[in-house]
Amino acid sequence: MSSWLDYTINGLIVGNVYALVAVGLALIFGVSRLINFAQGSIYLVGAYIGWVAVVQLHTPLPLTIIVVAVAAALVGLIIERFGLRPLQNSVRIAPLLATIGISFVLDQLVMLTFSPNPRALPSQLPDVRFQVGGGTIGPLDLLIAGVGLTSALLLFVFLRYSKLGWAVRAASQDRDAAMQMGVDVNRVNQAVFGIAAALGGVSGMLVGMYYNQIDTAMSLQATLKGVVAEVVGGAGNVPGAVIGSLLLGLVESYGVAVFGTSYRNLFAFLLLVVVLVLRPNGLFASARQAPPEPLTGTFIAPSRPVPIPRWALLAAAAIFAILPLFPVSFYVLQTLINAWLLGMLALSLTLVAGTIGQVSLGHAALLAIGAYTSALLSLTFSAPVGLAIIGGGLMSAALGTALISPSFRLRGHYVSIATLAIGEIVSLVILNWESVTRGPIGISGIPPLSLFGYELISPTSIYWFSFVVMVTLALLQGRLLSSHLGRSFRAIRDDDIAARAYGLSLNRYKSLAFIFGGFAAGISGGIAAHLYSYINHETFNTQQSILALTVVILGGLGNVVGAIVGAVALVGLPEMFRIAAEYRILIYGIVLLLLVRFRPQGLLGTM
Amino acid sequence: MTTNAPEPLLALSNVNTFYGQAQVHFDLSITVARGHIVCLLGGNASGKSTTMKIILGLVKPRSGEVMFDGASLIGLTTPQIVRRGISSVPEARRLFADMSVRENILMGAFVRNDRDAVAQDLDKMLTLFPKLGQRLSQRAGSLSGGEQQMVAMARALMSRPRMIVMDEPTMGLSPLYVDRVLELIRTINQEDVSVFMVEQNASLALEIAHEAYVLQTGKIVLSGPARTLKDDPRVRDAYLGGSEAA
Repeated sequence: MSSWLDYTINGLIVGNVYALVAVGLALIFGVSRLINFAQGSIYLVGAYIGWVAVVQLHTPLPLTIIVVAVAAALVGLIIERFGLRPLQNSVRIAPLLATIGISFVLDQLVMLTFSPNPRALPSQLPDVRFQVGGGTIGPLDLLIAGVGLTSALLLFVFLRYSKLGWAVRAASQDRDAAMQMGVDVNRVNQAVFGIAAALGGVSGMLVGMYYNQIDTAMSLQATLKGVVAEVVGGAGNVPGAVIGSLLLGLVESYGVAVFGTSYRNLFAFLLLVVVLVLRPNGLFASARQAPPEPLTGTFIAPSRPVPIPRWALLAAAAIFAILPLFPVSFYVLQTLINAWLLGMLALSLTLVAGTIGQVSLGHAALLAIGAYTSALLSLTFSAPVGLAIIGGGLMSAALGTALISPSFRLRGHYVSIATLAIGEIVSLVILNWESVTRGPIGISGIPPLSLFGYELISPTSIYWFSFVVMVTLALLQGRLLSSHLGRSFRAIRDDDIAARAYGLSLNRYKSLAFIFGGFAAGISGGIAAHLYSYINHETFNTQQSILALTVVILGGLGNVVGAIVGAVALVGLPEMFRIAAEYRILIYGIVLLLLVRFRPQGLLGTM
Repeated sequence: MTTNAPEPLLALSNVNTFYGQAQVHFDLSITVARGHIVCLLGGNASGKSTTMKIILGLVKPRSGEVMFDGASLIGLTTPQIVRRGISSVPEARRLFADMSVRENILMGAFVRNDRDAVAQDLDKMLTLFPKLGQRLSQRAGSLSGGEQQMVAMARALMSRPRMIVMDEPTMGLSPLYVDRVLELIRTINQEDVSVFMVEQNASLALEIAHEAYVLQTGKIVLSGPARTLKDDPRVRDAYLGGSEAA
């Protein structure tokens, strides 16, 4: 029985760490109604600053904590001032996307500076364990608990007794009214970002010490866990975030105790989805209504699409169609094949995010479902590859829509969180459902592409195959958008209440969009599986979801041609300039930031 | 048209405001004399609330001038304008619902740094609004509409403003509270605080105002001393949004 106490202690300690991240997220959400996806990056930065301090500068522990808090706070202030303040008057999705871009840039900068290899971060504390009841507790546990409690106390005193703290509370309840009392909202934002970053940075350092290891993959995990804890506690609710974090820590710890380590994250995201569906305002909100999100369509930049004459499209399609007939290198064809595959994913996302306004951050999951289905159909049931890929598309359409459907009543940011969580859940189910997916080993020996019994092995044939499939999907989607259905989709995006008042069934139309989008993405994943011949649960990851989103924003949300142009640009240009792979993600992040700031409607305009 | 007092406290001149393509104000000119209650009447979508937002710097006019106590307010942020001596009772009160009544009232003194005097002023508010005394530690969101209006007015007074702008202070209140609010506006005004109020309820507003303006689809169609306007048959036509005022 003693182990249960250990798991409880462990859960509370980990919960404490989550709380440091989640409280920052809650403060920021309270004041600016923004989910700060860069919070995990600050946590990462904090861990590495801690590493520099401990390992290179040999600072004593109290000084290390102060150095990390101050440095992280500075990063937070810079993000607020240069990343977010210029976006104050832009569309509501802009700051959200900007924090995603910032997080890419920060993570990559850390990776380039410190290399992606894990490093040890010693805690400098004696390695002893005290017996408490039936469990044990170490000095590091006490340190984490102490930092958590001290931060909570400081924050309470700040919010309750300082003038700036009052301003933060007032601004988070009614921004305009606070301004009319003379509150400078920019200063409040600064304060909140500084505090959130300091707490996040210290949290990253503590986690590094707890596991005696830091690496750049920590960032996204921390953001996700913080978001889970914050939403469970009720977005913007600071005490709620603390309780949500402890709860999350306990749920994970007990989950691990019963099912094993690889289930830890699965429990976190299931908890999130359950709370989002049943109590979107968090466990402690009195009302069960949907969260207060943008009611009408300012979420996406309104603009007119750039007109492209039909002959120009035909000419471009013709050039790309006959390209392999010319002596182009294998490398060019390979690059364009990647672009066509990404183009299919972008078509799917531009429909879901752009046309019907559900900004999905978990789109790679649809690729994974398509890829696994197609691979398993062809391997286990010896299905012809062509049919297997179609099977992958259908499975992605059905399963993807079924998974997202409980979240149909959510809006804005909450859709993004739900899709992000569902994406993670899909990847975790693939990891853990070993009897079907072969778990962490992945699937190897997937047969190559073939059509009617003919194997497509030469780059030219693969090029034509993927090009034709993408163009077909694009034409279908173009037809869809110009039909009555397309108008209904846009009506729902622009004003879902008005659309409902006109008698449109939101769930039905959202389902249709996800079915079509799921099919396109599933096909892309299916083709990819047969091209790669090996896939595992990490082949299709969140980074790809965000890349697809960048492509779609670059082309113009909802814009079919834009999705393809964006894919070619983001896959092709880095190849053309021979930019080393480790700089690419950095460039994607910068592109996203620049777009959000200077051309939110994308290259070809939103539709 | 308006009073010829030496220098008005607040003067909007030739203000033109747009929301995107749509023009909200057409050459709007309004003055508030020192120590006066001025009331802006008009129907829905006449541009009343936007006028208030212009004064508070929440909306920027495309052209025109807003002068307060001899200095321009154009280009100032809302907090800067509050520090110049204008406070507000926003439409629908807009209290900080999860903060206590006491905290709400003290938020009104956010721009002040004289702690002792603020504490004295809080006591003063409790004599002016005796009902709030028992409610100080209650959540502001749990009060009735009339009580919330009292908190909003106390909050506005706490910055020791020279002028208060009020957006429909009697909206949604029971008749008992309507009278009470009007009486309080008079009391506030007697302490040398000018009041600019936006109202739909013309007959009530004209009872306490010195001057009044009638706004119709962004243009001032009538203005003058409240006494004169009260008896003007055109007032009712104009602010009910009837055809062009004669």
